[in-house]
Amino acid sequence: MDRREFFEAAGILLGGTACAYGLPLVAVSQLTAGTAEEESAAGGRRWGMVIDLRSCRLDCQACTEACRRENNAALHGDPRWDVHLIRKVQVRRKGAADAALKPLLLLCNQCDRPPCVQACPVQATFQRPDGIVLVDQHRCIGCRYCMIACPYNARHYNYKENPEWPNKDQPRSVHGVPQSCTLCVHRLDQGRKPACVEACERVGAKALAVGDLNDPQSEVSRLIATHPVRVIREDLGTKPKVYYIGL
Amino acid sequence: MEYRFETIEGRSPGFYGLLAVLVLLILPGVVSTYLMYRHGIYLSGMTNRVPWGLQIIMAVYYIGLSAGSLVISSLYGIFGRAEYKPFARIAAYLALLLLIGALLSILTDLGRLGNLQSSFSHFNFLSMLSINPFLYNMYIVICAVYLWAMLKEHDLWVRRLALVAVLWAILVHSGTGAIFGFVPRELYQSPLLPPSFIAAALSSGTALMILVILALFRLTGRALDDLLVIKLGGLLGVFVIVVMYFLFVENAYRLYMAESREAGYFFLFGGINAVLFWGGLIGLGSIVPAVLLFHPQTGRSIRWIVVASALVVAGVLCERYLIVIPGETHPPELFRDWEIRDSPWEEGVVHYVISYHEVFQAIGVAALVAFLFILGLKWMPLAPTEARVSPRPAELGEGSPDGAPAA
Repeated sequence: MDRREFFEAAGILLGGTACAYGLPLVAVSQLTAGTAEEESAAGGRRWGMVIDLRSCRLDCQACTEACRRENNAALHGDPRWDVHLIRKVQVRRKGAADAALKPLLLLCNQCDRPPCVQACPVQATFQRPDGIVLVDQHRCIGCRYCMIACPYNARHYNYKENPEWPNKDQPRSVHGVPQSCTLCVHRLDQGRKPACVEACERVGAKALAVGDLNDPQSEVSRLIATHPVRVIREDLGTKPKVYYIGL
Repeated sequence: MEYRFETIEGRSPGFYGLLAVLVLLILPGVVSTYLMYRHGIYLSGMTNRVPWGLQIIMAVYYIGLSAGSLVISSLYGIFGRAEYKPFARIAAYLALLLLIGALLSILTDLGRLGNLQSSFSHFNFLSMLSINPFLYNMYIVICAVYLWAMLKEHDLWVRRLALVAVLWAILVHSGTGAIFGFVPRELYQSPLLPPSFIAAALSSGTALMILVILALFRLTGRALDDLLVIKLGGLLGVFVIVVMYFLFVENAYRLYMAESREAGYFFLFGGINAVLFWGGLIGLGSIVPAVLLFHPQTGRSIRWIVVASALVVAGVLCERYLIVIPGETHPPELFRDWEIRDSPWEEGVVHYVISYHEVFQAIGVAALVAFLFILGLKWMPLAPTEARVSPRPAELGEGSPDGAPAA
């Protein structure tokens, strides 16, 4: 190797190193700049949910059924393909075989740092400045990488066309795109409560509350301030905005 | 020494028969893909818990296979190893086709193919599934230009492009590993996946090249020096060992760390995973081929090298299954202290049952790749009339190779 070749090789190596480290840095700077977390910290609204499991009953399905009607979520009668934007499961303390079963609601956690938004190859999954994570069904290519990326299994896919269309104000669920809880964004934007919250109030349980986490006077903020709350898998750093009381 | 590259004649009944068979194999895949496009991909075996299935396994498999081809091609292009020149063109062409096969596998897997234009208009720089298709498309272009330079005998450009192609291949395979490694799931998340993906790519790709080269030279009656195949076999043996090393580190880490121990057990000993890992990947796919390739007798026998290569090609398919599926069938641990007893949905460990539609799709893509490969041999001078090593076979030492025809 003569001197010229040496300098060429060294130049390529240096340039390559700069690129190799620079590109991820540029990409990651996108992650932190202008996230909903920061924008909402600047004064906007930041929607969150509090679920008070102490008031939730094992045998009640008011919220899940109201959600299904409101959002046209498909029920095919096969757990492999059913779409549950909110689902009620029964849990038991680990290792306590005779302990009583408790109800638990699982839904999209509206993460402040959503892995699904990071994963989506076409920006069809996006986060509004108020923190709500949505899917643009007209942009989605149906690759299902968001479902792979979601550590909560909150995304459900429309494997089949939904024959039912109960709520004509909302789009019909077509096959080929995923769905997850939108916090009934169409209702929130009209100043109404999400369907599940309304249904829960109707049966008198009042276990669900949705509101502005940035407003210290909102119901959710007061509940979080006065009760011990938990989010699911806090260790993942996704910063969920669905808080549980009594978990 | 000088090689004379020539197209194959491609007029025998056998040639047309082979093409006809391949077309017949493609057709069911086309029908299945159309049905899924029309009615939804519930026709596959995929579910809400297993949203990625056989087509994704095949996609990463093809991407891996393309690597080895290119590396062999570059041994000539970059390092000037003239003995590999006879394979350089075939390898580059095969790498290109395998990448097309990978892209086709991904495309036929999409639920909303009609929205595909958004992958160009709304590129997401943070998404591994956005970055990778870009890498794949560029890779196809680079391979095509590289092949063109070889066909035109532009030696300077061949060397330059070979370097570009190999560097790009490293990006492609690291990126593909990152699709899974950079995801917060117990059995996916791993910084080791990109490099281990490269290792498995090299071993499976080299093994496939050995099979393709032998089949091609034997079927067309062209002379092939056994020493070349034996050398490739030695290379393959090293790659297989490297793959095993990565597998060992990855799984030892999982078992050692308390938080991933349970997932590690599931990966190594959970039902079908255990069969594919210990039986398919480690036993038949790594140990047996490694022994065959390093053994002084079998390592010099073409017949045994073919067996070892076939085993590696199958073993890495098991490895690709194990990259994609266990990470999905293993349930995410949502709570440290609660277990889910009842749900309207599938919680806990689930199973992935491949449907015949997916099998048709996979066979269809494979047949299409083979179809284009064979046509390419007829249209382009890809293979030399004979492939001999420059040093005399006497340097082989004692123990003459068992030159039994394999194809």
